Amino acid sequence: MHKILAVIRREFMTRVHTRAFVIGTILGPLLMGFMFVLPILLSRRETAPKQIVVLDAARGEFGRLTAERLRGEMRDTVTRTGPRYRITHLAVNPGSLQRVRDSLVTLTGSASEPTRSLDGVLVIDDTTLSSGRIQYLGVNVGSPADMGALRRALDPLVKSARLTEAGVDPMVVMGALRPIDFQTLKVSEGRVTGDSGEASFLLAYVMSFMLYFALLLYGIQVMSSVVEEKSSRIMEVLVSSLTPFQMLLGKVVGVGLVALLQIAIWAGTAMVLTTFGGRIATMFGASPATVSDLPLPAVSPDMLIVFLLFFSLGFLFFAAAYAAVGSMCSTVQETQQSHTPITLLIAAGLFCMFALLSEPAGPLARTLSLVPFVAPFVTPVRYSFAPLPWTELLASTVAMILGILGVIWIAARIYRVGILSYGKKASFREVVRWVREG
Amino acid sequence: MPDPLLRLDRVVKRFSGHTAVRSLSMSVPSGGIFGLLGPNGAGKTTTIRMIMNILTPDEGTITLFGEPASRAHSDRIGFLPEERGLYRKMEVLDHLAFLGETKGLRRRDAQARARAWLERLGLGDWTTHRVEDLSKGMQQKVQFIGTLLHDPALIVLDEPFSGLDPVNSKVMKDVVVELAREGRTVLFSTHIMEQAERMCDHIVIIARGEKVVDGAVADVKRDAGARHVRLTFTRNRDAARRVLQDRALVLRAEDHGASAEVELAPGANGEGLLRALVHADVGLSQFAVVEPSLESIFIAKVGPAAATAVAEVAGA
Repeated sequence: MHKILAVIRREFMTRVHTRAFVIGTILGPLLMGFMFVLPILLSRRETAPKQIVVLDAARGEFGRLTAERLRGEMRDTVTRTGPRYRITHLAVNPGSLQRVRDSLVTLTGSASEPTRSLDGVLVIDDTTLSSGRIQYLGVNVGSPADMGALRRALDPLVKSARLTEAGVDPMVVMGALRPIDFQTLKVSEGRVTGDSGEASFLLAYVMSFMLYFALLLYGIQVMSSVVEEKSSRIMEVLVSSLTPFQMLLGKVVGVGLVALLQIAIWAGTAMVLTTFGGRIATMFGASPATVSDLPLPAVSPDMLIVFLLFFSLGFLFFAAAYAAVGSMCSTVQETQQSHTPITLLIAAGLFCMFALLSEPAGPLARTLSLVPFVAPFVTPVRYSFAPLPWTELLASTVAMILGILGVIWIAARIYRVGILSYGKKASFREVVRWVREG
Repeated sequence: MPDPLLRLDRVVKRFSGHTAVRSLSMSVPSGGIFGLLGPNGAGKTTTIRMIMNILTPDEGTITLFGEPASRAHSDRIGFLPEERGLYRKMEVLDHLAFLGETKGLRRRDAQARARAWLERLGLGDWTTHRVEDLSKGMQQKVQFIGTLLHDPALIVLDEPFSGLDPVNSKVMKDVVVELAREGRTVLFSTHIMEQAERMCDHIVIIARGEKVVDGAVADVKRDAGARHVRLTFTRNRDAARRVLQDRALVLRAEDHGASAEVELAPGANGEGLLRALVHADVGLSQFAVVEPSLESIFIAKVGPAAATAVAEVAGA
């Protein structure tokens, strides 16, 4: 036991001390923080209201209403900081429309007289209501954000004007078209638990991906560090002092702890950002409401335990397999082809998780929970839909542990022979012989 | 002989296609320096790996400390493999502490011992340097320290002096000799016969996986008999060579050009050879009846094919 701890300690310390780990661990939160603060900073950027002339050649009130409505548009829908447009309403008769428009265009975007310069011209004529055509000539037509805002403002105006013209009260129609409020309540074991289940499912979904990437990133680290030990020939000293089981378990657990540490730091940062987002926004001088309301799903403790349990079990299972592959190869290049079967198994696990989303409690889902390489993906997601009966959870855990013991048993046997074989990569037949003969 | 520390009984190890060790039996007594000699490919490393329980013998038994050899003995053995290797990115002291821990030492204890050894071998200033910053010779010393940290009763060194410069080689040799004097048992393998001759109390020579010589160095030499003559001549080489090729006088001669080591033919004696050489007028400057060197014993036992292998390796 003492020796396994020594191996775990070495694997953990040497990894945590590398520049790559420090940079990777710090960079993650930095990037997250950056992506969080950037929109706040951008929203603070003072942009002058756009100078727009509404050129109105239409009969009736539509042009004036449009101009009024655009004057009311705010630059930011949440913070309501200043108007988005400075509007001039210019009514002309249809005959001179073309001429006035052209002369206004000459004033648009002129660099020589920025104070008198226009940003754009909005043309409304008689055909607007019937054809829905509104023309905008401006310097900012390349900006999807500006054009989107303009469209969104104009669209309901045209619609309600058409309704009024047809003698229908727009308020009635708008009220009728309001989207439904669809409520979902989770029932588990005959009781309404109250929460919608959607949030915790999203969480399990995210967790599955975390497991997937951790397996790929760190599993491959386990593999290449075995190859490194072989190529640096330290292996022979180790193998005379430690059993293959001790070496294997120590390495896998040590690297696994590094993975957990890194993920904990990242998840912690995400949690802090979402929980204290409002306060951080205030620190940067923006109102708390700038922060889009990303509801952090409340993680129930039992969900977290189930996730951590299956994350650890899954990591042990796959990392041991990666270590076995590493022991079969002599160079890192060789491992790149040899680990494909394991990587495919991991991907298969993730796909199985998707496959059972439609029926998380069905017989297929229940069976998959008992398949060791799928269970780490499937069981936590199923648990997030509805807490599984403890018998099923236990069965899945036991299946997982049996699977791990099997993999470690095989891996240790491959390891035992593989770590001292150099040169040619072992063929599949040879590896089978190693396992059989031990 | 009291119970040997280590005993191999008719040990066989086969690899696909060839037999690396054939029915090898040997006993390593407690205390002293034991040499396992043989040319490259003789099966030395395979034998040592079986002793270290890295490989399991196909046949035969290995007994350590009076019990069937197992991994449980690992903590009482220090092992320096032929292929040296350390974690390049680790700091020297950390690395040694880890090696100590894998032998069951407490970390603190291992660190203290490592410091003392580093000091003794002149690496005291390097404790916090990374292994990769050390020269090759220093790295070898670090690994040698790792072998000794847990104060093992049996120290197994596979080709310990290969690749070392004379100064470092002497440092290590002195440590080995002192360990033996303190009552520990050192088993080391080498293909350099002269080295073994100077250091070992007891030797086993193996060739092609088989034992050809086994015994205390003094006994081995005595058994070979004082039938060896070392001679140096100054002129008439051709005439000298003709005398040495006379099978009535000389069984085998190792011709070094101006000198030779000669094994007398059965029935011949030193005087007869001396008379022939004086008659051939070769300008003898040395003529001594000597104990045979281990090298000549080895060549006599395993034949010229293995002899060339040794000569090549020794020359390399």
